[in-house]
Amino acid sequence: MQFRLVRYFTLASLGMFGLVALSLIYFERQQGDFFQRTGDEQRTFFNEVQQSFAQQQEQSARRDLLTIHEAGNVNLTRLFANALWDKDFAPFVAQVQMIDARACQEIADVDDDKGKKVAPPEKKACFTDLGKRIMALPDFKAIDAKVFASMKKSTVFKIKVFDLRGVTVYSSEHAQIGEDKSTNAGWRSAAFDGVPKSELTHRGKFSAFEGVVENRDLISSYLPVLDPGSSRIVGVFEVYSDVTPFLKQIQQTSEQIRSTASANQTKLEAAAVENQAAVDATSYRQFATIGLLLALLFAALLAIVRRAEKIIQQQEADRAHTHQQLAQSEKMASLGQMVAGVAHQLNTPLAFSQNNILMVKDALQSMELPMKVAGKLSSILEDVEGDKVTLKVAQLKANLDKLQDGNVDVSMLQEMLKDVLGGIDQMSELVVHLRDFTRLDRAATTNADLNKSLHTVAYIAQTVLPKNIELVEEYGELPSVECNPSQLNQVFLNLINNAAQAIDGPGRIRIRSLADDDKVRIEIQDNGSGIPEHVLPNIFDLYYTTKPAGEGTGLGLAIARNIVTEHGGDISVSTRAGVGTTFTVTLPIRLSEPLAKAA
Amino acid sequence: MKRLAGKVLCVDDEPGIVRSLQWLLQKQFEVFTATSGAEALELVKQHDFDVIISDQRMPGMTGVEVLREVRQLSPRTMRILLTGYSDMQAIVRSVNESEVFRFINKPWNIAELPKVVAQAITIAKTQPTDEDATDVSEEAPLVANGERILVIDDDPEMGRAVSELVGASARVSYTRNLADAVGILNSEAVSVIISETRVGSIDATRLVRLMKSKHPEIVTVMLTAESDADTITTLINQGQIYRFVPKPIRTGYLKIVLQSALRKHQALANDPALTFRHTVEATSAGTIEAFMSDVQKVAPQAEAAVADKAGGFMASLGAGFRRLFGVG
Repeated sequence: MQFRLVRYFTLASLGMFGLVALSLIYFERQQGDFFQRTGDEQRTFFNEVQQSFAQQQEQSARRDLLTIHEAGNVNLTRLFANALWDKDFAPFVAQVQMIDARACQEIADVDDDKGKKVAPPEKKACFTDLGKRIMALPDFKAIDAKVFASMKKSTVFKIKVFDLRGVTVYSSEHAQIGEDKSTNAGWRSAAFDGVPKSELTHRGKFSAFEGVVENRDLISSYLPVLDPGSSRIVGVFEVYSDVTPFLKQIQQTSEQIRSTASANQTKLEAAAVENQAAVDATSYRQFATIGLLLALLFAALLAIVRRAEKIIQQQEADRAHTHQQLAQSEKMASLGQMVAGVAHQLNTPLAFSQNNILMVKDALQSMELPMKVAGKLSSILEDVEGDKVTLKVAQLKANLDKLQDGNVDVSMLQEMLKDVLGGIDQMSELVVHLRDFTRLDRAATTNADLNKSLHTVAYIAQTVLPKNIELVEEYGELPSVECNPSQLNQVFLNLINNAAQAIDGPGRIRIRSLADDDKVRIEIQDNGSGIPEHVLPNIFDLYYTTKPAGEGTGLGLAIARNIVTEHGGDISVSTRAGVGTTFTVTLPIRLSEPLAKAA
Repeated sequence: MKRLAGKVLCVDDEPGIVRSLQWLLQKQFEVFTATSGAEALELVKQHDFDVIISDQRMPGMTGVEVLREVRQLSPRTMRILLTGYSDMQAIVRSVNESEVFRFINKPWNIAELPKVVAQAITIAKTQPTDEDATDVSEEAPLVANGERILVIDDDPEMGRAVSELVGASARVSYTRNLADAVGILNSEAVSVIISETRVGSIDATRLVRLMKSKHPEIVTVMLTAESDADTITTLINQGQIYRFVPKPIRTGYLKIVLQSALRKHQALANDPALTFRHTVEATSAGTIEAFMSDVQKVAPQAEAAVADKAGGFMASLGAGFRRLFGVG
């Protein structure tokens, strides 16, 4: 399985970068939110402070106004009292005292719908009636005229005078004369405690000396009237003075402060917005920078990883190439070994056949003269009539040696040629087996008789193996097996060679085959040294070899397993030290999928 | 009766081969055949064979094993190993264990084989048997009588190893230059040559082969990391190598080889007739000339040449060749 380095790296690092970016954005946003919230809180606080400041300023201005006017009203009352009390009001009040108000006062108050004690209408009417009686007093008109005269063109809009019973003895607004003020907090403060009490009120409509005025801010002060020359309270004045212009001024100042505050607030807001923008901008720059840096990092890493992958691929290719070369050299090595064995196997019949033929040839050569002599003799005999032939012996005697040489044992020559024929048989047998082994002339995948294959491989192996290793072939009845016989031959030869290498000295290799349902099983069993325990787990590993460097490629069994696996089969091993090793190859009778075309 | 000139035993598991050899040799010699090592050894016990020819690859006993047994049972029997399969290990063992006379490849030369057998029979019948130095052990101290041993190897360690082994009992000359080697052989009576097959880039086996052909009393031991079967085959047939020691060398084994080589030399020196048992094949034509020209190329680097600035060394090298090999 191929490790997709670049892909995995890209996925992992992009994922990680994404997470980093998300968490950065999250924290940045948190920070932004916190900054905004803090800014908002600060602005709200500042706003409240300003508002409260403006309010306090207005309140204190109002309080000051009240205090100043109260003080003014006190003075005014004193002046008024000094001017009018002894001569005019004192006798008038004394006259009013004569009017009994108790009947009116005794009318009980009632709860209104809000639970507050209010005077019932009959009580009010009683006091109104009392007022009418006061106005009916003979001195009333004169006092009224004096009050109007002295208050003309002043900021005092109204004057009221109360006696110590709380009865309105005089009011510049005549309708109010006779009203009961005994429950009024201002009156009580002035009448009982001698403390002036003032109040700032706004009146939409107000009956003043000069007539009815509208939209006015008024300060009304309840002021105790002291008996001149003593500190005895003799009555209560109520003075209404107009502070509309002052209040306006105060309100203007207040307005100014408020607008300044508002301006400040606006500035602050603007600054905050600017700050926020700056912060946002910084944040974006930060994001951009980090993003850029991450991108650069990614690019650099990607370059490195790509380079690494290229190198890895190169190495992979090199390894594959080396493997291919090694597999090739393994194949060549086993081929070389096989060729050497075959050469030896051919050499033996070749040696005696050559020797015999050369000897027969020599013998034939030496038979030439005797044959000629015999031929001549036969022709002479043909021409002769009668019993006797005359031969010139001299010439024959001279060549007696040659004639004797030609006296060859023909049956021996026949024996020699018989051996030669036997040798030729051996050589053809070898050729047939070689052809069966390589099967270059057949289709790659075919239905093969594996017993025949095994016999061929055993025959070929025998040529290479030491002669003191016995090959025992025990074949069971096998169905034909769909396979690549050439590849399987390679596997069997490899297993037999391995088995032989495990045997030191004389030994035996058993080759067994048997059918097992839809499978066939082939066992190669040796009585060699067995496979050491520490070697066993690695024997099928690529490049694993126990042979010295340069002698084994460590590919033999790896390739064998590959071939068997490609056939949908299985190769297994069982071994016992000193007893031997058995390799078992199990193959399905039918291939489930076509074989790769590899050799 | 010339047919009974000698007794020859042919051993091969392939009946075709033994029959063929029998037909080839029976005209001149009395030929016995066996198709297994055990059968052969039985025959050796019953008969006094002059020559045994054995195939190497046989079931049961291998040829080398058969020849080793025959050497014990019948030391005077000349041993010839026959094989069509070049197996380095078998060759080395055939040299060291069986001291074979010849190594013959299948298919053999129909004209030559009877001649080789005839030569072996002549030697077996006429020459005494050399005593075998089998009683050498690693523990026993090395016995020598001041013989000269020539070590030729690229690795000076080899010279030192031999010097340490023999101590003061023998004189050791070490060289890495073949011209120096020729100079030493010319001026000293060398008893044992221990040589690597290649020195520098030159094939040193030619020196050994040439020396052996002219001076059979010299015992030769070859060292090599090489595994070229043909080189070794040539060394046996043309150089009668006494022992063949594959590198890396084990000191104990080297000591045994050295001791038996020294004894072998003593035996050969005491009874020159023995040397016939180590008769070699003629070296191929031109070998001496090619070897001379190679040696002359390395001569200027030789220690003797460096010491002798007058230039007399080259002249003496030529003289050495003439004296040693009778040419030049």
